Amino acid sequence: MTAGRPFLITFSGIGRQITNVVSTARDLATLRARNNQLQTVVDTLTIDNLRLKEIEAENERLRSLLRFAQLNPNYDFRGGQVIARVISKNPSNYLASITLDLGAEHGIKPGMPVVTERGLVGRIYKVGPLSSTVLLITDPSSGVPALIQRNRLVGVVNGRAGSAPVMDYIPQDAEITVGDLIITSGLGGEFPKNLVIGQVVEVRQRDYEMFQQATVRPTVNFDRLEFVQVITNFRPLPNQPDEPDSVG
Amino acid sequence: MMGMANRTSRRFRLNRRDLTGIYLTAAVLTLAILAQATLLTRIRLGGASPNLLLVIVVCWSLLRGQTDGVLWGFAGGLGLDLVSGLPLGASALALMVTCPLTVLGKDSVFPGSLTLPALLVLLATPIFGWGVLLTKTMLGLPVEWLASTRYVIGPEIALNLALTPVIYPALRWLALHVRAGQAGW
Repeated sequence: MTAGRPFLITFSGIGRQITNVVSTARDLATLRARNNQLQTVVDTLTIDNLRLKEIEAENERLRSLLRFAQLNPNYDFRGGQVIARVISKNPSNYLASITLDLGAEHGIKPGMPVVTERGLVGRIYKVGPLSSTVLLITDPSSGVPALIQRNRLVGVVNGRAGSAPVMDYIPQDAEITVGDLIITSGLGGEFPKNLVIGQVVEVRQRDYEMFQQATVRPTVNFDRLEFVQVITNFRPLPNQPDEPDSVG
Repeated sequence: MMGMANRTSRRFRLNRRDLTGIYLTAAVLTLAILAQATLLTRIRLGGASPNLLLVIVVCWSLLRGQTDGVLWGFAGGLGLDLVSGLPLGASALALMVTCPLTVLGKDSVFPGSLTLPALLVLLATPIFGWGVLLTKTMLGLPVEWLASTRYVIGPEIALNLALTPVIYPALRWLALHVRAGQAGW
């Protein structure tokens, strides 16, 4: 027994080593499978995390629009019940427009004003059954009767091709300064009153001209529009210019 | 009997080529309009985005002849007008007007060179732009010719020229590898 002890110890050690090697090999296979499982979980969680962040951002934007709707209870806002999603922007360089995912079937009609929580976007220009086109206030064919909030002077904000809109028809003797806030005047019946349009960034006054001009920076960032609200209970007055249907 | 069978077979082949041409036109133009309305509008220089449809029509006219170009211009222009909200026909007319420009490249000895398509795009962009503006003027819409030329057409030329080296080789590959029937009146 005593003589066999060293052998027993040696063999027992070898046996332990072999067991360790086998168990390591088995562990390795398990670890690989486990690693694959965890990798899948990480991928799923990463995707979930991205989706949640996107939902959080969208939620924040919708909350802003809701706040705007609550602060302006006089208007009935509709779009996917409340809000419309922008599905296309400026497909042509010669018309500043966006396309919404709501149309006649959702109660959208030509002439309805379109806003965000930051201010006026434009008005509904063409309506299809499931989508509609909005003519932005930056388009040269758009004219919005406006006033300077500080001194209530009226004018018209006209879009400009490829540059910022301009407020025209401001009397020569009127006092207008950079930073003045421009809002809709409601004159002409095309847009509701008191919607924010933008801020004056430049004033152009020439002695030989009848009126002053003010360049306006819109408060709405037209490049980053994702959701807008359509004011559905505002009816533009009749005799507004119709949209041109087709060539010829 | 054999001759009749051959004639029928030839007619069948011709029909298939025609159908391939129609499918190709529909697929390329639909993709171009979708890309134009959703992706390319994110690229802005001054007041303009690249005009993919114009580049495609000009390059295709150069590769496959004016008739094909005019057909693509008409169909693509109508699609663009429907999506953009421009008066129906404005883009279609302006695109069709640019196609005769390809006469300049009819006898080109360097069909693979990018110089000619770039030159044609350079000329076609203002012609297209002024065509659309003219249509808008005729329809009584307010148009700013000078500002549009400076802030829209100018940057659009640069963007379209940048697009040409990508589009022309792709369409050239398509014209060589897809056996589509050529349009004829």
